[in-house]
Amino acid sequence: MRRALSPVVAIARKDLRLLARNRGALFFAAGWPILMAIFFGLVFGGRGERGRIPVVAVDEDGTPESRSLVARLGTSTALELTGGSREEAEGLVRRGKKAAAVVVPAGYGAAAAGLFRGEARRIEILEDPSREPEAAMLAGIATGAAMEELATLFSDPARATEAVDRARADLAARPPSERRRLTERYLGELRTYLDDLRPLAGGTGGAAGGFHPVSVERRTLRVGRERPRSAFDFTFPQGILWGVIGSALGFALSLVTERTRGTLTRLEMSPLSRAHVLAGKALACAVTILAVEAGLLCVGALFFGVRPTSWALTLAAALSVAACFVGVMMLVAVLGRSEQSAGGLAWSIMMPLAMVGGAMVPLFAMPSWMQILGNLSPVKWGILALEGATWRGFSPSEMALPCAVLVAVGLAGFALGVGLFRDGARA
Amino acid sequence: MLRLSDIRKRFGATVALDGLSLDVRPGEILGLLGPNGAGKTTAVHVAVGLVAPDSGEVIVGGAGSPRTPEVRRRIGVAPQALSLYETLSSEENLRFFGRVYGLSGRTLASRVDWALELAALTDRRREPAARLSGGMKRRLNLAAALVHDPELVLLDEPTVGVDPQSRNAILERIQELRNVGRTVVYTTHYMEEAARLCDRVAIVDRGRLLALGSVDELVAAHGGEPALVARLDGAEIRIATRDPASELSGLLARGRVDDVRIERASLEQVFLHLTGRSLRDA
Repeated sequence: MRRALSPVVAIARKDLRLLARNRGALFFAAGWPILMAIFFGLVFGGRGERGRIPVVAVDEDGTPESRSLVARLGTSTALELTGGSREEAEGLVRRGKKAAAVVVPAGYGAAAAGLFRGEARRIEILEDPSREPEAAMLAGIATGAAMEELATLFSDPARATEAVDRARADLAARPPSERRRLTERYLGELRTYLDDLRPLAGGTGGAAGGFHPVSVERRTLRVGRERPRSAFDFTFPQGILWGVIGSALGFALSLVTERTRGTLTRLEMSPLSRAHVLAGKALACAVTILAVEAGLLCVGALFFGVRPTSWALTLAAALSVAACFVGVMMLVAVLGRSEQSAGGLAWSIMMPLAMVGGAMVPLFAMPSWMQILGNLSPVKWGILALEGATWRGFSPSEMALPCAVLVAVGLAGFALGVGLFRDGARA
Repeated sequence: MLRLSDIRKRFGATVALDGLSLDVRPGEILGLLGPNGAGKTTAVHVAVGLVAPDSGEVIVGGAGSPRTPEVRRRIGVAPQALSLYETLSSEENLRFFGRVYGLSGRTLASRVDWALELAALTDRRREPAARLSGGMKRRLNLAAALVHDPELVLLDEPTVGVDPQSRNAILERIQELRNVGRTVVYTTHYMEEAARLCDRVAIVDRGRLLALGSVDELVAAHGGEPALVARLDGAEIRIATRDPASELSGLLARGRVDDVRIERASLEQVFLHLTGRSLRDA
């Protein structure tokens, strides 16, 4: 066994030594992907501030209710909130300095009296038309904050009683109608309910006696996160895949170079079988790919907050990616007859696969049709496996699919490559 | 040591080997002399098992087919094209090829030292192959074929494109191989090299063996008679004869002879006689 492996190791060592001497190949296998991961990570917002919408809050009401609403908006992690007047807000949005402004108009607090007549409290959103998605998100957050603020009114029986009394007085000043009669009856029942509730709540309101129109419960799930923690969470897997592609194609070209320079012929005249030669090349390629993956993950973890959720799954993902692209390397190596033809062919195949596979645009940001198309690309499965082991928090069963696809592609490429290599040698 | 029996090989419509038979004796240097395209390289590739013949049989050292690893371990090949890793040093190239042939440890280290000395590259052992001169690369190419101490050495045009000094060095090294009992098959299209180096020469053309023997035997059989060339009264005359002494006596009896020399046939005349073409023109 050792005797059989010895020439394989010799070939792998030789190929790794050749790679180490080739500074260009080394840079494109390791240096370039790291630069890309960092650069695009910064372009996409880097760490922490990614996704926060710059918004101006304008409080024209100045009541406890409006102040409470603005304070709630300020606690949102999705918003980067600053205060200002309506004029200032309009100017900032027009100049593109802010994505939108949320205005709490005068009368917002007093509108509680009209609550039971079906009159809604009004909030204005001033938006930049080119940033419609952010404005829509702001509208949702503002509505949610207003509802929460409204819920506090009913969670305090004293405040609720006061609001009901104000509404009944307001109603009494209106002309008689069937609607007024029904509303007075409803408010009377509600007042009686609140009177009965106050002793239970200790006369001061609180949760025990509160009325909650909506209850939103938030739970942090350990798995199945849908969004990355930072842009580096998706740019590092992308960078790793670029490094892996660069390494695999480098080794594919090295096999073609051996053929054109005659060293392959020399090896074929030695006691080594073709299986030895290919196994040695594959071993060197796998070692390089694993080194690229480990190197980029280390840089990502040490300096950019990329954190594997499971080391075991990270290892599984890394090994699967290596297996896949060693197979791809084998296939590409036998397709080209010269360095030029092999290089051109390799990149013309790999570039589209990288594009639809999410190596340029993050998978989650792709349109759905492209995500479906991406299923044909091993790059997509590689990125998915690495993301699954880092920010997506895949379970072992969720990780099984991408890993299985990667290994299957690798085996198919290896088998096809070896078959074509043998045929080529016979010819 | 090496027997090729009725080897036939075609590449598409081209007949590379057309019933070639050769029997290489242990310890000799056998030259395969022929023009480019004669089938010499194909014969080497068949002999080492790189190319399978369409028909015929190859046996190495009585051990069998050269396609088996055990037999290949006994063979060293220096391909015509320089087959080296340019970014690896001389020593690293030799170490790698030594490992490929199963050497390791002290044996590998001592064989690498020996091969570097043979190639006169000991002082440039750490130099990348890319930085060596053409002649040095040729010597390294030869050393890589010998690092595992093979019994049978196949050298395919090992002096192509080298300067006279390197050529002499290579030829001397090959003669040393014969002195230590190695068997060498040496392909060339240089007659002078074949005449200087080889115990026997096989003349091949268009995939066929035209003649086989020592240089003297070939010249005697196919070179025609020696010629007596003399200058008589300012005029040069040329007389083909098997008895130049008698012819010279006759000339001296007829008058004053200013100059005289005997021209023996060369392998060039042998090739011309066998093919109707000059080796240099073929």
